[in-house]
Amino acid sequence: MKKYALYPGCVMSTEQYAYEMSVRESLPLLGVELIDLQGFSCCGEPLKSVNQLLTLYLSARNLAIAEKQKLDVFAPCAMCHLALSECKWVLGKNADMKKRMNEMLATEDLKYEGTSKLVHTVDLLHDHIGIEEIKKHVTKPLKGVKLATHYGCHIIRPSEIGRPVDSEHPMKMERILEALGAETAEYPEKLDCCGALLQINLDESALTKSGQKLKAVQEHGFDGLVDVCPWCHKMFDARQTKAGETVAAKLDLPVFYLTQLLGLAFGIDKKKLGLELNLSPVDNIKLGGK
Amino acid sequence: MSIVDLTSMGEAQAQLRTEINERLARLQDEISDYCFQCAKCTSGCEAHKLLELEPHKIVALLKRGLIDEMVNSDVIWTCMSCFKCRERCPQKVAPVEILFALKNMAVASGKQIPGKYTAMLQSILSIGLLQDVQSVTTHDNKMVKRDDLGLPAVSKPMDAAKFQMVLSKLAIEKV
Repeated sequence: MKKYALYPGCVMSTEQYAYEMSVRESLPLLGVELIDLQGFSCCGEPLKSVNQLLTLYLSARNLAIAEKQKLDVFAPCAMCHLALSECKWVLGKNADMKKRMNEMLATEDLKYEGTSKLVHTVDLLHDHIGIEEIKKHVTKPLKGVKLATHYGCHIIRPSEIGRPVDSEHPMKMERILEALGAETAEYPEKLDCCGALLQINLDESALTKSGQKLKAVQEHGFDGLVDVCPWCHKMFDARQTKAGETVAAKLDLPVFYLTQLLGLAFGIDKKKLGLELNLSPVDNIKLGGK
Repeated sequence: MSIVDLTSMGEAQAQLRTEINERLARLQDEISDYCFQCAKCTSGCEAHKLLELEPHKIVALLKRGLIDEMVNSDVIWTCMSCFKCRERCPQKVAPVEILFALKNMAVASGKQIPGKYTAMLQSILSIGLLQDVQSVTTHDNKMVKRDDLGLPAVSKPMDAAKFQMVLSKLAIEKV
């Protein structure tokens, strides 16, 4: 049994429930124990444009909460994963900054050492659990579907601080989906950004970015798109119709969280994986369990 | 101290401005040595085609010391922080980091923060999260909340007063 503190972040825990449900349903089958801790806050990444110090502090604070319980951290959100990784990287190199952060953390009786390891959904599945182990649990293979992947910028870059996947040619999601029985393929727009951060101040542009990518994926003839970040997923799934309108395209593309497909291939009930919360037409393709 | 102090021109911000200035000056020095304007950053920039952000020009302007001009420009707020420029720069210049510093400077100088940033900051100060728990729609139009779905209560800072105290202090803390 691998134990991790589940760091839920804001977007997954306050609106993208399908990700959290599918994470909580599917990972325990692979021997992962998820521990809920009290006291977490935002990771700070969305506010980096406002105050980078605030981002650094919030991330150090969340890591310190997990350290206190001597637990490694599982951050399913790409944005959170970047903030926490960068915090570990910066404080690992800069002892003065670490000291300063710890002086502030002391107010809440916390201390950052940098001892907790950090994983995201993709490296947890691919590197720590492993493709062979995943294959053993597949009871309802995802046969006859061709899926496109979207990794999300924040788990891809910057490689300088260490990211869960390769920066120019990420393939771990493809390997996982193939283990579940699905077909995958490369496409030119694979590394394009969803634009989610621009929702904050330039929403129309955010929708255009998502619309352009969805349109490309649909035109390439994929049956669906798979993602691993609640920000990206919100853009591609819940906001798909609007994104389509923005780029004058009729979009009709099923969008899934990787962990939803994992659960389906393991035979978990659709409802438990939050599939009724996907607003893109996920029923267009027949997959896995009932 | 409150949100007003974190985002206004109040006296508390003077120190923060000095610190960000130092950060920018340091970036300026390094960039003068390294950037050779190959524009690889701009060729891959996600905000370039759509919003005319040209990271190599941001670097060039910084090199010439036109910091105030950029701080006062809307273009710095078009970056969607995809980090492609930082990843691909052959000289490790990282325009995205310059843009973060410029935006931080704009905020510390009391310029109006665009979009929903202020609301997000306010929410983090009061409950620790970007937003409170939302009701969401299922694809057959039912409204559901976390607890309807069998999810545990959301994790939030336990002592809000202490949490807020530190965040407010950050505005005047040294970089």
